[in-house]
Amino acid sequence: MGSPLRIVNGRVYDPANGVNGAVQDVCVRDGKIVADVPPDAKRIDAAGMVVMPGGIDIHCHIAGPKVNLARKVQPETHQDDVQLRTRLTRSGTGGTVPSTFATGYRYATLGYTTAMEAAVTPLGARHTLEEFHDTPVLDKGFFVLVGNNLLLYRLLQEGRREELRHALAWWLKVTKAYAPKLVNPGGDEMWKGQRNANITSLDDKIGSFDLTPRRVIAAFIEAGNELGLPHPVHIHCNNLGHSGNVETTLETMRLAEGRRAHIAHIQFHSYGAAAGKSQSNPTSRARDIIEYINTHPNISADVGAVMFGPATIMTGDAPLAYMLRRFGGNKWVNADTENESGCGIVPFRYQDRVYTNALQWAIGLELLLLSEDPWRMVFSTDHPNGGSFMSYPRLIRLLMDRGYRKEQMAHVNQKALDRSALRDCQEREYSLSEIAIITRAGPARLLGLTDKGHLGVGADADVTIYEEDEDKEKMFSAPRYVIKDGELIIEDHELRADHQGRLLHVAPDYDPQIEQVIEPFFEDFYTIRFANYPVDDRYVPNGQIIPTTPSVAAAPATAGTRT
Amino acid sequence: MTLTLTLRTAPTVPLEADVLSPDRLSGVSALEAAKLTVVHGNQRADLGEFFQVGGAADGELHLTGDLAQVKQIGTGMARGRIVVHGSVGMHLGAGMTGGEIVVEGDAGDWVGPEMSGGRIVVKGNAGHMLGSARRGSQIGVRGGEIVVFGNAGNEVGNGMRRGLIAIGGDAGDFAGVNMLAGTIVVLGRLAWRAGAGMRRGSIISMHPAELLPTFSYACDYAPEFLRVCLRHVRGLGLTIADSHVNGRYQRWCGDGIELNRGEVLILDSAGTASRS
Amino acid sequence: MLVRGVLIEDTFAEAFTMRVARLVITGGTPRWAREAGLKLTGFATSVIGCKCEAGIERELSETETPDGRPGVSVLFLTMDKESLPQQLISRIGQTVLTCPTTACFDGLPDGPDRLPVGKALRVFGDGFQGSKVIGGKRYWRVPVMEGEFLVEETFGMQKGVGGGNFLILARDADAALAAAEAAVDAMANHPGVVLPFPGGVVRSGSKVGSKRYKKMVATTNDAFCPTLRALTESQLPEGVNSVLEIVLDGTDAPAIAAAMRLGIDAACRPGVQAITAGNYGGKLGPHHFHLRRIMGGESQAA
Repeated sequence: MGSPLRIVNGRVYDPANGVNGAVQDVCVRDGKIVADVPPDAKRIDAAGMVVMPGGIDIHCHIAGPKVNLARKVQPETHQDDVQLRTRLTRSGTGGTVPSTFATGYRYATLGYTTAMEAAVTPLGARHTLEEFHDTPVLDKGFFVLVGNNLLLYRLLQEGRREELRHALAWWLKVTKAYAPKLVNPGGDEMWKGQRNANITSLDDKIGSFDLTPRRVIAAFIEAGNELGLPHPVHIHCNNLGHSGNVETTLETMRLAEGRRAHIAHIQFHSYGAAAGKSQSNPTSRARDIIEYINTHPNISADVGAVMFGPATIMTGDAPLAYMLRRFGGNKWVNADTENESGCGIVPFRYQDRVYTNALQWAIGLELLLLSEDPWRMVFSTDHPNGGSFMSYPRLIRLLMDRGYRKEQMAHVNQKALDRSALRDCQEREYSLSEIAIITRAGPARLLGLTDKGHLGVGADADVTIYEEDEDKEKMFSAPRYVIKDGELIIEDHELRADHQGRLLHVAPDYDPQIEQVIEPFFEDFYTIRFANYPVDDRYVPNGQIIPTTPSVAAAPATAGTRT
Repeated sequence: MTLTLTLRTAPTVPLEADVLSPDRLSGVSALEAAKLTVVHGNQRADLGEFFQVGGAADGELHLTGDLAQVKQIGTGMARGRIVVHGSVGMHLGAGMTGGEIVVEGDAGDWVGPEMSGGRIVVKGNAGHMLGSARRGSQIGVRGGEIVVFGNAGNEVGNGMRRGLIAIGGDAGDFAGVNMLAGTIVVLGRLAWRAGAGMRRGSIISMHPAELLPTFSYACDYAPEFLRVCLRHVRGLGLTIADSHVNGRYQRWCGDGIELNRGEVLILDSAGTASRS
Repeated sequence: MLVRGVLIEDTFAEAFTMRVARLVITGGTPRWAREAGLKLTGFATSVIGCKCEAGIERELSETETPDGRPGVSVLFLTMDKESLPQQLISRIGQTVLTCPTTACFDGLPDGPDRLPVGKALRVFGDGFQGSKVIGGKRYWRVPVMEGEFLVEETFGMQKGVGGGNFLILARDADAALAAAEAAVDAMANHPGVVLPFPGGVVRSGSKVGSKRYKKMVATTNDAFCPTLRALTESQLPEGVNSVLEIVLDGTDAPAIAAAMRLGIDAACRPGVQAITAGNYGGKLGPHHFHLRRIMGGESQAA
């Protein structure tokens, strides 16, 4: 946990506690922020520096079977980006999908200390946890895919809402997940069942089920909120990437009816359709989206910004990957996870001259620049879908430096800018405090991580110290110090210690009777036996259960008719 | 005065010697060169442990000995010249952008992967993946020339996008697989599945070849560009008969499962499999 | 100064800087290379009316061409940078692309400016064309009914010289023509020089502007018209009854001077009284070819 530590003379940005650049001491002991430490404690002189909580990535793809497939399908990117072994650190490879060790080290060298893997099939949980074990420094958690789950669909179809809630709790608990994730609800089921099929609206019938995405989404929003999950539900809406998908997104947000819901990488869901001939060309509807979010405090989103350059499309949305693979004519991976989900992977490159790519870039910036509540429109590139996490410093500079932004705007497809409102929000510049919100305090609050994202007494001692610089990209590329759980991981910009982060997961209560409902389904339809399915605690040597606050007791499930 | 390196201790496992490049050794004395790092298996070692170094670097490098276990010679070189009096190992001239490498003996697999300029001349045989894309990569050779006097292995010019590969002997299976453009001249025999998945580009053969069914016969003719091309290859030292320059060639278009804009040109006097 | 009794006037030819390209046209036989060359350089006598000046420089043997076939070398000149590619594209497209067996290569590989001629012509292939890079040069293969038309992607352009000239003043028309033919024969195949007029000879020398018609840019050179000796300020010596002019364009001044020397020498034959040259007082063109210096004598002309 490191020795006691006092950080002095730094300008502190701790928006959760109302500290906005004040020069004050931050004290650390036993892995926590404390009020004071003995005078002989080690000191870090942070004069001319900015002190912030460690960065928190609310939505990224860094571990698990699909991430590994993405690594395997791009060996050519590894040769150019080799990370050699050092006395302290393990070797690895980079590119847009770094190997596990490189992922941990590289996040740390950007000042990030927590990251959420945003899409894991329940069956992939073990694999994900094993990769997490080899992803150093970071505290991690994962969102488990439940939006195309056949058993849950059955329960919902039969109106067994209570059992659905218990089953969801069971799934979260036995996989050691952090939150339920919906990805294109119904889409994978359609894709698996019919040739090139996908969901096109919330009211489409999902394959052979007597269900619609509307019912599925509403049910999971309800269940996640009733279970009192710290992050009730994380939604990747239907129609990602399609022109005119803004209506689907707005309609999805309305389904929450005041309850908490988080919309993932919303940039990809903010497209209008051009009138007339070029109907297939998207336009920006960022204004409509942000207006809704500004006025609906129950809704939050991460932006899913696009950065020019290489990326890897990596998604549980298999039909989407099929659509995208046509653009580059490049490699494509499709994979199914039996009763649970689908998966698609496409190496990709965003180009500033390409209309659609430039529009996506502009919409990401628009959303952030038009947002009135930074606590609810937070930072992400949906790494590596919109670009690598290594491009975060550049994105921060785009937000903080309007001169730089203007210069970059001059290089992109101007027709795309014409179809966005980016030119109208040229004035705004993010402050350091707002950056601290969208990259730290906001994600922590949205995830329900009360010990993270701030520097108040009792918080986890995850601290990043940046040297102030006019060039914000430079500033945020290489923090001078990074402290994780009270331990000095990075000193003078260099890794000085290795560290094993924790697994953040939930363990909601459920009525044990639900296992009687689930088990027969496993024995009939799964390739794995029920008893072998739950992830046992050996996979979580360093776990932390984040408590839930259920509004409904885990009452016995009502007996339903099994089909 | 050139820098001369003579192998004195044969490596027992492959030796990674990407320092053996005129760019990297520019202005380096023999003494300094001997201290440069190479990787022997998983151990770092001094170049001098394996090579007797003499002379001084002036843009030209002479290597002597059986270097079949020495890999990555000339990696990324942009100028200058390397002459190898002997054979070389894998990854010769990887990603080179200019200059010239001449190998008097044989070369291993992966000669000139993803090179974009310069010239590699192999007087003996070359291994598999001559002038190819790295695994996973879609684009192979982007420019430059590779000349092999002997035979070459499988997957010559995999993913090639520009440039010239000329082989005096035979080429193995899958010559020009996934080719994007560029020219492969094979004076010997083409093995199976030449041009599989090619989008554009030309594969020229002086002998009958069994082509994939996704290649379609177009015509017999004497392409003018081929006269220019073959005279150029002759200038590179390969034996090109006048009958090759003046000959008529069958043009086969393919690969039909891709863009179908590539071609295999087969010297007519050779006689071929039946045209359908 | 007299050469075999012919007076070499103490004057100079005044020539201009032009832009020049050299094309190498090859064919299956010398005949077809020549046919393409002749058509390409037809109606290219003077920039005044043709926008360009061109001629066949010389015939090339199999050993001199990129594809090892017989060919001709053509020089092509315009007054400015912009019109050279335009003229080349339209003329090659109509006369070489169309001509059986031929291919068209750049003859000025070191020309500092690169004209995208093949690059423009390739679109005749309607998307079926393909390119090849051989020895660092890009070629386009355009499919045509006969087979393929091969054209280099770019052609070099450099500064050249246009308007070198000399006039043969003879006792009668037969003598003038015989002298002109001898001169042309002597200059044939001279590297770096072409004679753009019919058979290399022009009978209608011109002066700048008109005495009578405002719109005319050039009109007959009345001072050298024998029929006007009594009507105008004639410059014809006594006994001269016919004048023919030889115009030379080339890649550089020394080449033109060398060719003029051969041509003038050949023209100095019985029946010829004098050799002179056209100029504009030395103020318009940067290149001055002093006839006497060229012929190895001294000149006092300005």
